[in-house]
This record gives sequence, C-alpha cells and structure tokens, in this order.
Amino acid sequence: MTTALAESSLSSARSQSMLDRLRAIVGKDGILADREDLLVYECDGYVVEKKCPDIVVFPTSTEQVVEVVKLCNEYQIPFVPRGAGTSLAGGCLPIGGGLMIALTRMKRILEINLRDRYAIVEPGLVNVHLTQALKGTGYHYAPDPSSQGACTIGGNFATNSGGPHTLKYGVTVNHVMGAEVVLPDGSIAQLGGTVEDVPGYDLTGLFVGNEGTLGICTKVIVKLTRDPAAYRTMLGVFETVTDATRAISEIIGAGIVPAALEMMDQGIVSALEQAFHFGFPLDAGAVLLIEVDGLEVAVDDEAQRIIALCKQTGAREVRQANTPKERQLLWKCRKQAFGAIGRLSPSYCTQDGVVPRTKLPEILEFITACGLRHDLRIVNVFHAGDGNIHPILLFDERNAEQVARVLLASDEILGKCIELGGSVTGEHGIGVEKISFMNKLFSPEDLAVMSLIRDCFNPKGLCSPGKMLPTSAGCGNEHVPKIKPGRRAAM
Amino acid sequence: MSMSRRSSRADALPCNGHSFQSFLQLKQIASRRNYGLSALEFTPATQLELSRYVAENAQTERRTLCPVGGRTALHFGFSAPEPGVLVSMSQLNRLVDYPARDMTITVEAGMRIIDLQRTLAEQRQQLPIDIAQAERATVGGALATNTSGPRRFGHGTFRDYVIGISAIDAEGRLFKAGGRVVKNVAGYDICKLLVGSRGTLGILTQVTLKLRPLPETSAQLWMTVDSFTEIEDRLQRLLTSQVRPNAVEVLNPAAAALIVASARCELPTNAPVLCVGVEGSRREVDWQLDVLTQELTSIGVQECRQVRDHNADRIWESLTDFQTCADDPLTFEANLRPSQCMAFAERATQLGVAVQVHAGNGLVIGQLLDEAATIDHSTTILNELRPLARSQGGNLVVLHCDGEWKVRMPMCGDAEHSWPLMKQLKRKLDPQGLLNPGRFMDGAATA
Repeated sequence: MTTALAESSLSSARSQSMLDRLRAIVGKDGILADREDLLVYECDGYVVEKKCPDIVVFPTSTEQVVEVVKLCNEYQIPFVPRGAGTSLAGGCLPIGGGLMIALTRMKRILEINLRDRYAIVEPGLVNVHLTQALKGTGYHYAPDPSSQGACTIGGNFATNSGGPHTLKYGVTVNHVMGAEVVLPDGSIAQLGGTVEDVPGYDLTGLFVGNEGTLGICTKVIVKLTRDPAAYRTMLGVFETVTDATRAISEIIGAGIVPAALEMMDQGIVSALEQAFHFGFPLDAGAVLLIEVDGLEVAVDDEAQRIIALCKQTGAREVRQANTPKERQLLWKCRKQAFGAIGRLSPSYCTQDGVVPRTKLPEILEFITACGLRHDLRIVNVFHAGDGNIHPILLFDERNAEQVARVLLASDEILGKCIELGGSVTGEHGIGVEKISFMNKLFSPEDLAVMSLIRDCFNPKGLCSPGKMLPTSAGCGNEHVPKIKPGRRAAM
Repeated sequence: MSMSRRSSRADALPCNGHSFQSFLQLKQIASRRNYGLSALEFTPATQLELSRYVAENAQTERRTLCPVGGRTALHFGFSAPEPGVLVSMSQLNRLVDYPARDMTITVEAGMRIIDLQRTLAEQRQQLPIDIAQAERATVGGALATNTSGPRRFGHGTFRDYVIGISAIDAEGRLFKAGGRVVKNVAGYDICKLLVGSRGTLGILTQVTLKLRPLPETSAQLWMTVDSFTEIEDRLQRLLTSQVRPNAVEVLNPAAAALIVASARCELPTNAPVLCVGVEGSRREVDWQLDVLTQELTSIGVQECRQVRDHNADRIWESLTDFQTCADDPLTFEANLRPSQCMAFAERATQLGVAVQVHAGNGLVIGQLLDEAATIDHSTTILNELRPLARSQGGNLVVLHCDGEWKVRMPMCGDAEHSWPLMKQLKRKLDPQGLLNPGRFMDGAATA
C-alpha cells in the first residue's frame, strides 16, 4: 500500500491551486482553510490525539463529494469524512492532515416510504431528526445511540453504532438496507437497495462499520421499525454491583430479552441525582434501568418476572415508571449520564469493552480491583444486557502521573475483556484509539484478509489513513502516540 | 481424511420420512448432472486438515473447490465449468461451545440444522431462521446460501444472527472475523460478507450465532380472500395493526394446495390465501388471533381459520420447504418492494405459476408447474415476470432448474450496479478463481 502522508502538507503553490479548485466545487461558503477556523476540527469526542486538517470542505451533494475526492486523488493528499464528530475513538482524526470532508450540510431526508418501510437519508442527518420526522406514523428508526441528539446517520453507518435499545432491536447494520458510497477513487457505488436480498455479496453489511476506510457514504437506505405497542420501564435498586450483575445474568439466562437493560453504579447515580434530582437512592450500590416492550397483554407478565428475578438476587426495591413523563426522565438521566460526570472530576476517559454477559460480575470485580490497584476512581454506566461495559476513569489531566495510571488501567481492563472472551469495542469503533489491540484480538491471517479488503476498495490508502487496521512496519502510516486519555463522551 | 472417487449419490439420501422425497431424488439427479460423477471428494476431519489441503491445492493442482454441506443447494447458480473437488464438511460438525446463559453458540459449519435446533430447544432457545430440509441442511450451507423462510418478517435473516465466523480462503489461510460476544465492532464485518456468498470467498468452517428464546407457542390465521387487490388492502391495514406478526405470507391457490397437502392439514385453498403468523405466550397468541380477526375480516374475506399447535408447526414447516418442494421443473425467487408483490403475484398466477409471497419482506417464490416444462415456455414466463421485478429496483433469480437450461436462465438475476465491485473483491480474495466457480456472477447469462 502506498501512502501520501509524507507529501500531505501542501506546498503553498499547490495549496493555492487546490483551494481555488475546491472553491469552484463547493463554493466560497463551503470551505475552511484558516488556522483558527480549523481548530474546531482538530479532534472529535476522543480528545487525546489532535491534528488539524489542512482544509475542511462542506459538500452539499454526492457530485460535489465525487469531485472533491477526485481532486484529492489528483493531488495525492489524504482525506477523511466527518459527521458530527461524536466519535469516541478518534474516527474523525485527520491523520497526516489533508482534507476533511464534513457531511453536515447533506442532511436531507430524501424519502420516507411507510408502505415499504424504508427511508432514504443523507449522511449528515442527525439521528434523532429521523425519529422526529416519523413521529405519529407508528414507525421509528431503531438505533438510538445516547448521542442521538447530535450524531449523524452517516457517522452511525460508518461506525455501526449501537445504543440502549440495540439489546432487542440490533445495531445499525441490522437496520441498513443499502447505501450510496463514494469510493476512494471518486467513483460511486450503489450498495443494496430499497428491496431485500439483492443478488450478490452483502457489501452493505461490509461497509457498515468500515470507519471511513472503504469510502464516504452519501446516502443511506434505512429500515423503519414498528413502534412497540406498550412499555414498562423499571428501576431496580441493589445494595451492591455484584447483586445487580447477578440479576442481569438471571434475566438473560431466563430467556427474557428486555428492550433495554442498563446499569449505573453508585458513582454515576450520585452525579445524576445532583444534576437531575430524579430521586435516585444515593446509598444504593447500583441501579438497573430495565425496559420491556411488546403487546399490552404481555408486558406486565414480563415485568413481573423481571421484578421477581431482581428480588431473588437481592434487589432492595424495584420501582416502576408510572407515567410517560417519568419514563422520559429516566431515559434522559441515562442518556445524559456523561454530562453529569463533570460534577465528579475535571477529566475522564471512557472505555468500550464487551464480555459474554455471564462474565459481567467478573469484569466488574476486576475493574474495581484495577481502580484500587492504580488508585483511580472508576464509575460505571453501561449496556449491561449486551455485556457492553463503559468504565469511566476519572482523573485530572494536569497530573501527568495520574494520566499514565489511567492509560495503564484502561489497557488492563480491555486486556481482561479479551481474556474473558470478549472484545475491546462494542459500539465506539477501533478508530485510532484502540488500534494497538487489533493484533491481540485478531491473528495475522485475520488482519491480512481485512487488509486485502481495504486495499481492494482503498488501494492508495488516501481515504481515512491510519484507522482501524494496524499497519505493518515500513508503510509510513504512523499513528499519533497516545498521550493522554479522552475526557468527554456521550455514548 | 478420506479421499475417494464418488460413485453413486443415492446413498447420500437419508431416509427422513419427508413428504417431498421424490422431489429430493430429482434434486440429487440434477446435482449429479451438474457436478459429474468424476468429481473428487475430500472430507476433512479438522479445520487444520482442510487448511493444509487447500493451501497445497493452491500451490500444486489448483483444482476448483466446491464446499458441500447437506447438498441441498447444489443446484444454485450455474454448472461448474470443470469438475473439481467436492469438499464435504460432514465431519466438521462439532459443537464447539454453548454458553446457554450468554445466549450464543459456536458450532462447526458441517453441523446439521436439525441437530443445532435440538440442542438449542433443550435450553428453550432457538435460531429463529426457517431453513428448508433441516434434516440435511447444514449451518454452513444455510449461511452460505442465506436461507430464510416466513419468519424472517419478525426475526430477520442470518446477517442478524452471525456474530463470529471462521473460514479458509483460497490460499488455505484460516481466518476469522467478529467474535463470541453479541456486540462487537472491531474490524471489518466479514461475517456479513460471507453470509450468502455461496462458498465463493472462503470455505466456512465455524460459526458463532446469537440466539433467541423459544416462544411458548405460535399460530397462524389462515384466510381465503376474493382477490390479490383485497389482500393488498389487508396488507396495508397490517402496517399499523395492534398485532406484531412474525410472518405475513400470501399464497395463490396452487401454492396453497401444495402447502396444505404437504402439511396434511384441512384448510381452504380455493382463493388467494393470506396467512398471518403470531407467536408468544398462549395469552399473547390468543389475543393476537382475536385482534387480527377483527382487523382483517370484512367483505372480501371468504373463510378465516385459526391454525394452532401441531397443525401450526406443520404449516410453518411446509411454508419453509415450499422453496424446495415441488416436482416442478423450475423455482425462482423475485425480490420486490412489498407494495409491488400483489400485482406481481396476480400476473404470475395468470401465467400458471404456484406463488408464495413473504409479503412483509417483498420476496416471491414461484414454482413453474408441469405444463411449463419446456425451456421455451419457461423462458417466456420469466421474460414476462422479470421486467415487473426490475421496474422498482428488484430482481429475479432462478433457484433451481434443469441443469441443461441454465445457460439460458437468469440464475443469478440481471446484473446489479455493484457487481463489478463484487467481482473485484472476488478476484482479490480468490485470484486463481478456485472457490466454487459458477455460483455467482461469473457464469451469468441472460434468457
């Protein structure tokens, strides 16, 4: 694989001619090239590593994306797509500089077809705007990342985003039927379609979660999901984290698939209580936010079974949300949990490990021990039903020695996830953050096949260089060394 | 390791008491014709053995490799241009890991579907994908052909359940993707790429699946309706029904008669049939059947019957096996937008085709009946139906037909926009073209 990173800092003459040509494509208002304007784009939700792109463009059509990508090929400079920049793994970091293609102005809903249950949207559409547009139709778009008020469907496509309700409804890939993609050479590919079972390989499935390394998606065809007929939302209050994780294990083990099953420990609960005054019990070791949905005739039975299992595993009490307003507030608390962490600590770093669900007690005990060992405070709020943990390591980034301990503890926790048969990322992606774990998760053969696939679509390596796949020595595709952990996030 | 000249295929046919046995024999003959008696067969006992064999083959003889499981889909695609080696996965059939409380299972690709389902049922769990000829079909084969059935409406397809995969590429390299946890975005999702790839990108050796609890019971509401137009009206009502069906099937009388006969049930088949499936606790099922009856029955519906318990199980099985069931010369599948299906079904009915529609998903399975048993007549019918499918971005593929007709039949459908890209990927992963030639675009012909 060749790379253009070395030449990516444009000479001023070349830079001027490229700027002129970019302006001709996207217009004067569609381009940023001044240092202070570019600062905003030096990182995404992963703030550890920073790099300013040389230029940011804001195309408004697929044709403009094509022209921009072709120009990057002509000038041999790297380019990276960006949506809302909510990635927690550095997915939008412009490694080697070059051009950033911000898709936030391509945000139209092109079609909603309820009879055939699909919608076609542009990549810059904010996730929640689609659900809002569908309000009252009886349908919704199921993937609901906690950042859904900001993150874009194109970004969700690129990272195969999850969210609390993916436990029952699946992640982004389970809801994408097709896409239009501008490939790294500037050609347009139409993948999948508005019909199911298009003959051929499932390239749509391959492209979802490609982290921008196979191309830039310019349209997404998503499935629409029927709204549940009824919900029951509960809050299980436990003395200890261990009791709460045992309850999770019992619920899943009993063959119940709740719509969502989220855990918050004492640290998070007290921060949330300060922020939202919901009435969370401050002395509880952990709470479980459990939602079941389905038919009105069935949800009460299922809720009762869950309450019984929680009581069996030592729940102090199980509260039910009695009104839609209470339910909404509970979910607001959960989804804004990260916003509340600012009350606990100046900086924090979130990890995204996954373990088999029965190993949750083990990994949480490990996390507690790890925190003690490294003298760090770690709090937990996560998608328990999927075994997808999000330990949040609290620290002060002005304290270099503490930062070093945070990095060490993070690596130990993710290493333990692998040891327990899990993965280092459930929904945030590898990005640049976890690239060093790829050869712990995968064999050289696995990575060789993945590299073949990348090189098939992205042979010059100009599109999102340095992401997801570790590069073999001598490729010149160096990635920025990890200096300090991320501090903000919203899953 | 066993390596033998294949003699007769009759011994491969298990006595399974299946109602479509004569049909299966026909399929055996068809596949023998496709593959020739001279093909070699190789039956590895371990992944490692297979990996070494494939690596050696890539270096030396460069024979084409055709992975086979239960041999239920050998008729897919075109005939192989040259006889190669049948790689039988029958001994790679072990249960690797079943942590039932995690609701995942890892099995080798050669495990029979029926053995998988029995293992899961002991824990009140299931892989909720309908797979025809479950006694013979294997996990790897079903996955490689992306098999599905009526319940795909409620439960999805293989791409929604495969969370980890191991395969051997054309060079003999054993590689994996995904893992054993239900949520995982590390690396490219090669699982999706291999689902439905018909053994052309790698030989599947091991699979990890996400599972679902078995529902307490299931049932169908079976109603005969005056016309396809009246059924379309019901399909539209179902879009905002209070009920959450797991299947929405439409059958023309010819297909309904075949399905009812094979299920040994007494149900009306003298008009187009709308068959809506539901599942859950007894209480949920009772409630849903009542509500569906209220929502759907009005002028236009002739008879409406509830199908419960064992009868329901048999109807599920027959609805699933229809795609492989007829003694007829040609089976096709059209993929359409759901809203196009009734017009398509009506035209196909006029042309004498037995038609099953997975109406919620827009998939139509057609069996051309005996009268059409010449290549010219079959071609005429398909030439009439294919443009209907193509008009809204759909397609039409032939799943099964006489081996000698294949050169004139749209075995893989019309070329899709992304086929050149797929060919590029195939060349990258299998540069010598050793893996299962003929199954996909490479043999494409037009009728």
